Amino acid sequence: MTASDLSILLPEIVIAVYAMAALLFAVYTGKDKLAPTLVWGTAAVFVLCAAWIGLTGGGTNLAFGGSYVDDAFARFAKVVILLSAAAVLVMSEGYMSRRDLLRFEYPILVALAAVGMMVMVSAHDLIVLYMGLELQSLALYVVASLRRDSAKSTEAGLKYFVLGALSSGLLLYGASLTYGYAGTTQFAGIVEAASGEISLGLLFGLVFLLSGFAFKVSAAPFHMWTPDVYEGAPTPVTAFFATAPKMAAMGLFARVVHDAFGNIPADWGQIIAFLSVLSMFLGAIAAIGQRNIKRLMAYSSIAHMGYALMGLAAGTAFGVQAMLIYMAIYVTMNIGTFAFILSMERDGSPVTDIGALNQLSKSEPLKALAVLILMFSLAGVPPLVGFFGKFYVLRAAVEAGYAWLAIAGVIASVIGAFYYLRIVFYMYFGEEGDGLDRGMAPVPWAMLMLAAFAMVAGVVNLFGIEGLAAAAAATLVN
Amino acid sequence: MSHEGYLLLFIAVLPFVGALVPGVMIRAGRTACASFAAVPTALAFILLLMLAPSVMRGEVIQAELEWLPQLGLSASFFLDGLGLLFAGMILGVGLLIILYARFYLSHEDPVGQFYTYLLLFQGAMLGIVLSDNILLLLIFWELTSLSSFLLIGYWKHLPEGRQGARMALAVTGAGGLAMIGGMLILGSIAGSYNLTDILEQGDAIRASDWYMPALILILLGAFTKSAQFPFHFWLPHAMAAPTPVSAYLHSATMVKAGVFLLARMWPVLSGTDAWFYIVATTGLVTMVLGALIALFKDDLKALLAFSTVSHLGLLTMLLGFGTQAAAVAAVFHIINHLTFKAALFMTAGIVDHETHTRDIKRLGGLRHLMPVTFVIGTVAALSMAGIPLFNGFLSKEMMLEEASHTYWAGSAYAVPVMATIGALLSVAYSLRFISHVFLGPQRDDYPHKPHDPPFGMWASPGLLIVLVLLIGVAPFVADGIVATAASAVTGAELHPHLKIWHGVTPALWMSVAAVAGGVVLLSAHAPLDRLWAAAPRPEAKAIFHRLVAAVVGFSRWFTEVTHNGAISRYLAIFTLASVLVGWMAYRGSGLPLPTRGLLPVPPVIAVGWILLIAATAYVVVVHHNRFQSLVLIGIIGLMISAGFVYLSAPDLALTQISVETVTIMLLLLALNFMPQMTPKESSMGRKLRDAIIAVAAGGSVGALAYAFMLRDVETISDYHLANSYEGGGGTNVVNVILVDFRGYDTYGEIIVLGIAGFVIYALMRALLDGPAARRLRTLEFGYNISKDRHPLMMVVVTRVLMPIAVVVGIYIFLRGHNQPGGGFVAGLVIAIALLMQYMASGFFWTQARKKIEYHTLIGIGVVIAGLTGAGAWLYARPFLTSSYTYVHWPPIEEFELATAMLFDLGVFLTVLGAVMLMLYSLSRIARYAGETVNVEPMDYDPGERAEEKVEA
Repeated sequence: MTASDLSILLPEIVIAVYAMAALLFAVYTGKDKLAPTLVWGTAAVFVLCAAWIGLTGGGTNLAFGGSYVDDAFARFAKVVILLSAAAVLVMSEGYMSRRDLLRFEYPILVALAAVGMMVMVSAHDLIVLYMGLELQSLALYVVASLRRDSAKSTEAGLKYFVLGALSSGLLLYGASLTYGYAGTTQFAGIVEAASGEISLGLLFGLVFLLSGFAFKVSAAPFHMWTPDVYEGAPTPVTAFFATAPKMAAMGLFARVVHDAFGNIPADWGQIIAFLSVLSMFLGAIAAIGQRNIKRLMAYSSIAHMGYALMGLAAGTAFGVQAMLIYMAIYVTMNIGTFAFILSMERDGSPVTDIGALNQLSKSEPLKALAVLILMFSLAGVPPLVGFFGKFYVLRAAVEAGYAWLAIAGVIASVIGAFYYLRIVFYMYFGEEGDGLDRGMAPVPWAMLMLAAFAMVAGVVNLFGIEGLAAAAAATLVN
Repeated sequence: MSHEGYLLLFIAVLPFVGALVPGVMIRAGRTACASFAAVPTALAFILLLMLAPSVMRGEVIQAELEWLPQLGLSASFFLDGLGLLFAGMILGVGLLIILYARFYLSHEDPVGQFYTYLLLFQGAMLGIVLSDNILLLLIFWELTSLSSFLLIGYWKHLPEGRQGARMALAVTGAGGLAMIGGMLILGSIAGSYNLTDILEQGDAIRASDWYMPALILILLGAFTKSAQFPFHFWLPHAMAAPTPVSAYLHSATMVKAGVFLLARMWPVLSGTDAWFYIVATTGLVTMVLGALIALFKDDLKALLAFSTVSHLGLLTMLLGFGTQAAAVAAVFHIINHLTFKAALFMTAGIVDHETHTRDIKRLGGLRHLMPVTFVIGTVAALSMAGIPLFNGFLSKEMMLEEASHTYWAGSAYAVPVMATIGALLSVAYSLRFISHVFLGPQRDDYPHKPHDPPFGMWASPGLLIVLVLLIGVAPFVADGIVATAASAVTGAELHPHLKIWHGVTPALWMSVAAVAGGVVLLSAHAPLDRLWAAAPRPEAKAIFHRLVAAVVGFSRWFTEVTHNGAISRYLAIFTLASVLVGWMAYRGSGLPLPTRGLLPVPPVIAVGWILLIAATAYVVVVHHNRFQSLVLIGIIGLMISAGFVYLSAPDLALTQISVETVTIMLLLLALNFMPQMTPKESSMGRKLRDAIIAVAAGGSVGALAYAFMLRDVETISDYHLANSYEGGGGTNVVNVILVDFRGYDTYGEIIVLGIAGFVIYALMRALLDGPAARRLRTLEFGYNISKDRHPLMMVVVTRVLMPIAVVVGIYIFLRGHNQPGGGFVAGLVIAIALLMQYMASGFFWTQARKKIEYHTLIGIGVVIAGLTGAGAWLYARPFLTSSYTYVHWPPIEEFELATAMLFDLGVFLTVLGAVMLMLYSLSRIARYAGETVNVEPMDYDPGERAEEKVEA
């Protein structure tokens, strides 16, 4: 353990130390009274770290004898993770204070989860991987059941925990098989062992690892927790679930398949394609019947993970680039959408039924327009940015010889368009009825507008993330 | 990029720039808004005319801007004959519509918004026809759906307007999404997303394996947009939009986008059987069906809408024929249909505007009240009917000519007969439009007294019927543009000569039959109409709604079955999915032959194995009884420990036995506070299902493990065996791994164990402050509690055992480095000794004799281990590097001292502290549950009378 090792993961250390110091400080001083300050402080730390990582980092650096890596891919994922976590934090502050949900542990747990996510995307060793994953998961289990007096929230948290523990078990089983047959936990060693005709043990290790990751990205058929947790958790927490952890889990997914199993893309490509096609269809079909917008977004996120996995299934650098772009777009869209969902209130109490959106365009034309843009973008309708993301992954799949997968993806997107459009119909052509309260807190309002604006303005050059994602993908796949 | 290329770019951008203006000047009034919409349109039209001569010469004008090159997307445009034709139509009709809408819309309407949407739509449409990049085309394609959605929904107070907008967007939007896939495949086969490149790769694309999927996906986009059967139903319902919108979108431009795409892709996709049968058949069916429905529609706009569907079908059919002559006919008919149908829509709009109704049944006799409108409407309708000297006749003749020699599945009659029927129906509804609206007696019950509109309103349709007549009488004026466009469609140099008289051909007879039949049909319209109204027929809209309802129903059912909130179901799905992916992995790789055989199974081992299996199976049976389950679990643990002994892993066995003992004891204590039985909740069927899933999962893992064990693998054991003594100074490899090789892990683990102890303690405190405490206080034990809780024999035995156990613990601790044992096991052994004291002599009595707090014990343990590790730093070695030496003190034999032993001491203390802290927490519950606390070791002292119990 040398200074250079530590300097490589200095951002992680800073956030971890910040989280622990904040915890101690808050416990011995104002506790929940400090919560708003902590929320903004944590968000500021995230943004600063994101800027630090994004602007100063360079090259590929290995730490701790190759167990930990800091490369363009990790930096890309970390910036997305930190910025989205910061956005979700600041927009949740008002909502949670009003409902007396804002505990000082919340920002701290989010900070710890963020550290876990950063470790996940930088892991270059099965043990580091697991450590990051569990650090993130444990924090998430707790925030899922943050609303302790609500049976639904605690039930959601408990289910998530039980299923999460099961998936961790599966993942560990896979990791131990991999270790057993590769003789090392380091990805650099595994990738040498896993080439050519690989042994059944290694294959099983790979498969169970992938199953564990599939749970974390909520890909079907390991997605069962998602709708319940999305519905049961407080909305800001749901927003958090839908953004940063997805990016982290996807990053981890890509990291492992390319860094540890990069020589056998055919072996995992099939499995990921299977997960992808199942997720896309399940997400699309199951969301149609939903009237609760949080459950609807849960299924939507399952479908979106299917598309992101499609990029991964391709097994090419272009596929990874497509996945990264897709995830960055997906996260932005979700932040905007959840900012809107946070504002869905009637007489001051939250509503989640999409029937409440009727005639929104009449009472709040600008908000309705922003949501319309986000919905079309989520549906992948050109020319909005969501289409570019979708097209990237479709193209990656076709070029890698997965044309059937791309066609399945297109069909699923046709089915999926239905429920996004239905929200638009309700807003513009719905029947008169009890509408939503007017007005919106400034921070979520800004997030909603920024996200919608990004979906339109992004068509110019996707804000330049193309090149960054390409560079990130190039470090992962060679 | 050439000078003309820049002009082309400018044309493409103009409507979008222009769209900004009317929106921001809503207050300026209708005329100002219309003018500001007309200026960019007119400008673009003039620029287009400037480019027209070179295109007519056969040049292709190209312009390209980089956009997202990696994606294959570039803002590239090209203008060839087909593009010129469509762009001219879009801009020309656009101008007329802007003028018409100025007079059609009223003061109250948000006119600025309307013109903004209209220009936005115009820009999108232009984009489609000018794109040289199929991704760009896709973008514009969906942009037309979006902007038309806004235009259709413009009058959103009408309920049918809402439904119309909804269906239009759902159908065309979905089609556009499907098309993405088709374009993607096309681009991937051709290796480029540039249309000009793709158009040259026709042979490669038709030969590709992916031709069919690409074709179907692209046709889905084209058919939904152009309202082809079975997607035809959305178009008539979208007609609730303002008439200028209907005239522009639903007759002249947007619905032609599908036809345009078919024409555009003609060189690449046509010429195969699949193309002919799918496209031509769809077109034919749509043509006949649309015409049939149009005949019986009473709403003027609905009649025109279905007629549009029918004519789009005609165009589709012609393109589907795949011959050059048919392509020429299609191009010509596109022009003709545009002129008469837009005029008709505007006429309908004028009638609606003036009489305030569009119901044919309430109209009639308008020729005297609205003479100008009558002339315009009649000329346009006669052209639609295909009467000679009007342009509709010419292209219809060409269509019938093509149809007359087309074979369909070997039949020479199928296509001609159907085409004639289509033409016949077309004559009938066109004449109906004239006779039922304008002819007949004048009525006095119009909702509003009509008269001819101002010039501005009829100027646009008036100009269009001039074209109708001009082309109808002198078709050669259209020669140039038809030739250029048809050449662009087919990719071959064509010089068609359009003329009125072709001689007496089969087409002429078919035409005659159509006109005669149409007149007859119209004369029998009234009884037929009653028949039609009475006849049951599938209503496409109702089917669409039922389909949607069915999909929603299916989705609900699916989520209710799979995502019903029960974690048991989630676990079942999770487990099955894991088995499934495991099976996929197994299938995907060949299993090498086993390299090892089964070891001999001595009878003792067999008995142990059977015990293990039997106990496991029996737990499943009796798991409702908690106590019995615990006993059985004890047996299982014991058998596993025995297995370790047999397989030469004494260390593991020792640890397993001590852990087993401690946990069983703690569980026994905990059982005290729980009901004896767990509730029975599962039905038989569910149990069976769960059993199958469990056996599948367990069996798979078992099979996997068995398969692995039959095969040799390289393991890392050798490394540890080789280095344990030299590197770690111990011969007990397991212990050396724990305290040396993997010392870091162990360090982490003891911290976790310590924290777990603290957490249990803290949680218990928090719990006992809450409702749990109340429940405990009222807890009724359902069984008799022994009166003699601390029996003499037990107390005595445990007292005697205590020093022995401690010595054993120390012995195990000391030998740990080289023989089975170590700090962990030692900690457990001593914990067991203490536990027994607590159980035998009572909690309070034992607690009173405790000298060190368990919290402190944990803390000291962790600190010792940590300091041991840190000590290595003093010698500039990494954390937790161990070192050892041999000491010789004379009376004792030489022995080894390792820093690892100090570390082990930390482990020992932490384990002991944590276990005892857990016990302490349990005893707190007991006291809340009414357990009395004793100060004496025994309830009955045999020497004296028992003392009074002291309440807590």
